[in-house]
Amino acid sequence: MTAATDLDADHAAPALSSRARLRRLDLAGLAITLVTLASAVLFAFPLYWGLITTFKPENEIVRAGVWLWPEHFTLENYLHVLFQTKIGLWYVNSLITSAAVTIIVIIMAAGAGYALSQLSFPGRRIFWWMILASFMVPIPALIVTHFVVLSQLGLINTLAGVVGPQLIAPVTVIIYKQFFDSVPKDFREAAVMDGASEFQLLFRIYLPMNWGVTTALAIITFIGAWNLFLWPFLAINSEDKMNITVGITQVHDNFGVSYGRDLAVAMLAALPVALVYLAFQRRVTQAIMLTAGIKG
Amino acid sequence: MSEAGVNGTEHVELRRVTKRYGPVTVISDLSLTVNKGSFTALLGPSGCGKSTLLRMIAGLEPITAGRCVIGGTDVTDTPPAQRRIAMVFQSYALYPHMSVRDNIAFSLSIAGVSRKAQRERALEVARILQLEPYLDRRPAELSGGQRQRVAIGRALVRKPEVFLFDEPLSNLDAKLRVQMRYELAKLHADLRTTMIYVTHDQIEAMTLADQIVVLDKGTISQVGSPLDLYNHPANKFVAAFIGSPGMNFFAVDIASAQAGAATVVLPGGRSVRARVRGAAAPQAPVELGVRPEHVALVAPDDPAAAFAGAVVIVERLGNATILYVDTPAGQLVVQGEGNLSASPGERVGLALDQAHIHLFGVAGDAV
Repeated sequence: MTAATDLDADHAAPALSSRARLRRLDLAGLAITLVTLASAVLFAFPLYWGLITTFKPENEIVRAGVWLWPEHFTLENYLHVLFQTKIGLWYVNSLITSAAVTIIVIIMAAGAGYALSQLSFPGRRIFWWMILASFMVPIPALIVTHFVVLSQLGLINTLAGVVGPQLIAPVTVIIYKQFFDSVPKDFREAAVMDGASEFQLLFRIYLPMNWGVTTALAIITFIGAWNLFLWPFLAINSEDKMNITVGITQVHDNFGVSYGRDLAVAMLAALPVALVYLAFQRRVTQAIMLTAGIKG
Repeated sequence: MSEAGVNGTEHVELRRVTKRYGPVTVISDLSLTVNKGSFTALLGPSGCGKSTLLRMIAGLEPITAGRCVIGGTDVTDTPPAQRRIAMVFQSYALYPHMSVRDNIAFSLSIAGVSRKAQRERALEVARILQLEPYLDRRPAELSGGQRQRVAIGRALVRKPEVFLFDEPLSNLDAKLRVQMRYELAKLHADLRTTMIYVTHDQIEAMTLADQIVVLDKGTISQVGSPLDLYNHPANKFVAAFIGSPGMNFFAVDIASAQAGAATVVLPGGRSVRARVRGAAAPQAPVELGVRPEHVALVAPDDPAAAFAGAVVIVERLGNATILYVDTPAGQLVVQGEGNLSASPGERVGLALDQAHIHLFGVAGDAV
């Protein structure tokens, strides 16, 4: 009898909890869910529209009316982009410049953040204020200056010229400094007693201890560099040195703009970033939160 | 100038060391000698400068004035890694991203020792500290005691001349602390390496050290063996700091005094004889100090009773009984046998063991 009662009690617990869950699904919650869902559809629709357009023939794209599904499904836009343009080269250029920006920014920012956080040297405070001040200046405001300087250095129309101005990453330095500040002093002192140099401290203690933030910053820096359009568009005029975002502008034919092909390049350009995002979603969100926190 | 040391082969010497942070003087003109192979405890309350002193020996804190000598070499301006010392931190400071093996071998890897030698040495240390099963674990996967042992292992692997411990047991629970105390004592007995140990826990200092340095406000109050400090405190600060429950103090009048002995009049009118340390007779006012275990319970009308009073609280510890007794001299603490018969509200007499009475002058120094 006792055993039966216990069993009943065991069954009763989940039943109660599901009732409790139902009670929590109140009207306000339902309304919020519906609004959120509607917003998601609203934001996703252009993406869907762009994607579906790439599978339509050009005459269907320019036809009046809203057609949510291709009448004649085609891969012609993708085949053209993949085999008739230099998209392979643009991918490689994007990969080289984005990887270079990511690696250099991470190393420089970690080094600068470490120096500002852990070292004592004349002018440290001024450096810190300069870095704080520098991210208050929007990058587009400096674009003419960048162009003039890189032109004088002979770096216009080079991949190095694309990379150069992207290395200004004060937010990354600030984030690193904050994280290094929060590392307990004992770790540093223990390593110093073991004879570690400043470089060993940075690369063997501080960076590995903040591997999470490094991964997050690297991903968001890579995505930012991959998606960048304005500066590579200004710095590069040779089709062979363009990155994928600028390459989109080159996909046209004798009859002018081809929406299907342009959108096909755009989709292919976004694909690696989307994959990176999907693979490292949590880290990207963390990085966005970090940078948002800094930028206020 | 605060100066201290005991006879033997000097290993670590602090010569007239001062430490200032801006206008604040933390250590003032302090000299100390630590003998080779000794276990020296730096004992004192929070803020007395004991950790600062240890960090100055380690080289983590620059010395404002004075010299630090280790093994006959002046290391005042020598970087920490070149002082042939190792330190165990209060927080253990184990690198969370490294395995136990890598934590232990870190200093060797920094020194450029081959990977094979690193592994062998780490294994050797792990054997000594019974850490072999945990070599591939991360610090987060270890218990407090195991982490403590890894921290010691990290120090041990360097084969240092001097071990420095900065309150290494303060993060452990009471039971583990006792166990680790034993392990530290055993380690010292096995290695016979000079160890300097910072603690605010007088039991740790008494049980581990063969020399205790009691610090107060950046100066040395007394240096000596645990029993020396316990039986012959140089001043009221040391008398109060060493021993648990703490020493009882109350003001007394001097009836008669000469070199070597004095008769003091207790609150309530009775008199006792007390030993006097100095050659000169003590001057009033003086305070009398007596440890709880040197106060015996007698009948209130017993001629040996120094006071009569009422028991306020009885604490049964099993091996001892602690009584709080209200007397004309204020509340006194009495420590008796575990089966001592007493109950709250009971009137009792208290007899003082005259061989263990301490007198302290107005400045707090033993007289």
